Amino acid sequence: MRKPLYQRVIGYVVLIFFLVVILLPFYWMFVTSFEPNSDISAYPPAYFPHHWTLSHYEEAFGQFHFGRYVLNSVIVSIASTFFVLVFGSMAGFAIARLPLKGKQPMLIFLLIISVFPPLVVITPLYMLLRDVGWLDSYQALIIPYTAFNLPFAIWILRNYFLQVPGALFEAAKIDGASVFMSYWRIFLPLTTPGLFTAAVFTFVACWTEFFMALVFNPDNTMRTIPVGIALFSGQYTVPYGTIFAGSVVSIVPIIVLVIIFRRWIVSGLTQGAVKG
Amino acid sequence: MSTAMEERDWTRSAGGRSSVVRHDVRAGLGMLIPAGIVILAVTIFPILYSIWMSFNDIQLTQNGFQFTFNGIQNYVDVYSAPLFWHSVWFTVYYSIVTVAIELFLGLLIALAIQNVEKLKSVSVVVMLIPWSLITVISAEMWSYIYNGVYGVLNAILQGLGLIHNPINWTGEPVTAVIALMAADIWKTTPFVVIILLSGLQMIPKDYYEAARIDGANGWQVFWNVTFPQLRGSIAIAGLFRILQAFGVFDLPFVLTQGGPGSTTTSLAMLGEETLFTNLHFGLGAAVAVSTVILILGACLIFLSAFRGMVGEEAQ
Repeated sequence: MRKPLYQRVIGYVVLIFFLVVILLPFYWMFVTSFEPNSDISAYPPAYFPHHWTLSHYEEAFGQFHFGRYVLNSVIVSIASTFFVLVFGSMAGFAIARLPLKGKQPMLIFLLIISVFPPLVVITPLYMLLRDVGWLDSYQALIIPYTAFNLPFAIWILRNYFLQVPGALFEAAKIDGASVFMSYWRIFLPLTTPGLFTAAVFTFVACWTEFFMALVFNPDNTMRTIPVGIALFSGQYTVPYGTIFAGSVVSIVPIIVLVIIFRRWIVSGLTQGAVKG
Repeated sequence: MSTAMEERDWTRSAGGRSSVVRHDVRAGLGMLIPAGIVILAVTIFPILYSIWMSFNDIQLTQNGFQFTFNGIQNYVDVYSAPLFWHSVWFTVYYSIVTVAIELFLGLLIALAIQNVEKLKSVSVVVMLIPWSLITVISAEMWSYIYNGVYGVLNAILQGLGLIHNPINWTGEPVTAVIALMAADIWKTTPFVVIILLSGLQMIPKDYYEAARIDGANGWQVFWNVTFPQLRGSIAIAGLFRILQAFGVFDLPFVLTQGGPGSTTTSLAMLGEETLFTNLHFGLGAAVAVSTVILILGACLIFLSAFRGMVGEEAQ
């Protein structure tokens, strides 16, 4: 069914306006990262830069520690995503497929857990990490990130496990497969879309998390990207060129990830909206 | 998750069942244990511990943290501090205004995407980019755009003749709040768009067909078909956003540092400052617990208000 012409025209006008509004700040950050400092603080600014330089990229990754921040973020995000997928898929499978009591309360409980703000857990965790000497360590972030992203992953994966026909489970049992074997060999391969969805959501959540990373890992060698950037502007002038150079480098891989996984992200958000 | 209890109950009631079922139950509990332990240790235990902390005077000494039970003294101190109520008020109106604008703009953009034939998949990708952006980076980006000396926003507004002199956006209370809200709306509206777009695509095509046969115009179709069918998605998007907005921290931390003065100090910022700058752990815990109660209350109010506004069927 084709929409009436006036509706389409209004649609295009509104959509293009907002697409431009969303993308313009990115353009501005991108070009600024290639401008010399004198152009960055020029007023009125040039909408298209006159001089291009890579000096901010050299500063960010040579003189400053952006490389280290990126490495820390990658390690923490990948490790947390791995644990969320392993623990979350096992729990999601158990809730979806095994004869356990109290599944409904368990799911509601997960939903409530996932809405609690980090502020209420951050101090006890900080005291605990301090007591065992784990402040400024990878596990200081990997463990809480795993916990905070598990509820959503369990929900998503449970829904996918439910879509796999139950007869498969019975058939595997008759063939003598253990519960764990049928989870590992039959169900997991059939729910790869669910795993992708849970993985992308967890990875993006870990990559962007700031509050816990700021409190638990403030040491310059253990900062993740957001903490590195936030604490970078502590000097008397804000070094926008360097900050944006580091930002551009940390944004590009995520944008690639989003483009590749867009279908699973949208399905994850839809699942959250429909079944959550 | 009360695992031991459930197993005992189950085996008792399943006395006559085959050992296969009992084996499945044991396997199931085994598969729940890793996730259960992590969730208990990192969320449930700290939440309960925070509540306990909020009833204690806590001093950081050489021997670690010293707890002295002091009843509701922390709450008395927090609730008698004007800064706390200022933060509550800021957090509440900030959340209401941003979420309301985000839902409106989100609906507008989702409908626009629904009405065009090209650009659809490109739009979805563009919407996902701000969602995946580190908030701290977006805050730095906007702080450069808003800069009072060389910010591009002033240049654009002056070029259009809308203002005469450059404005120090984050330096004045009113403009700082507006600047903060605009940056937040810019980053999170696309998330709302994606949820509402999914909701729009699930409305059966027959409904539109039927409405058209009945001679409804575009506006009538929206109010009688689209909007009622979309209530569930709007409620979910609103709920997600309210939860996040009430915990707002990253954006004001970088963009305004809670200022000027304490104009843009949110509850989460106040809590963080009390805990980790001033090291008042008992007071900070009282702020944190109060914030959680406020957030849960806000969710309940939103849901019941939404139900009342659009009818009971919105699930």
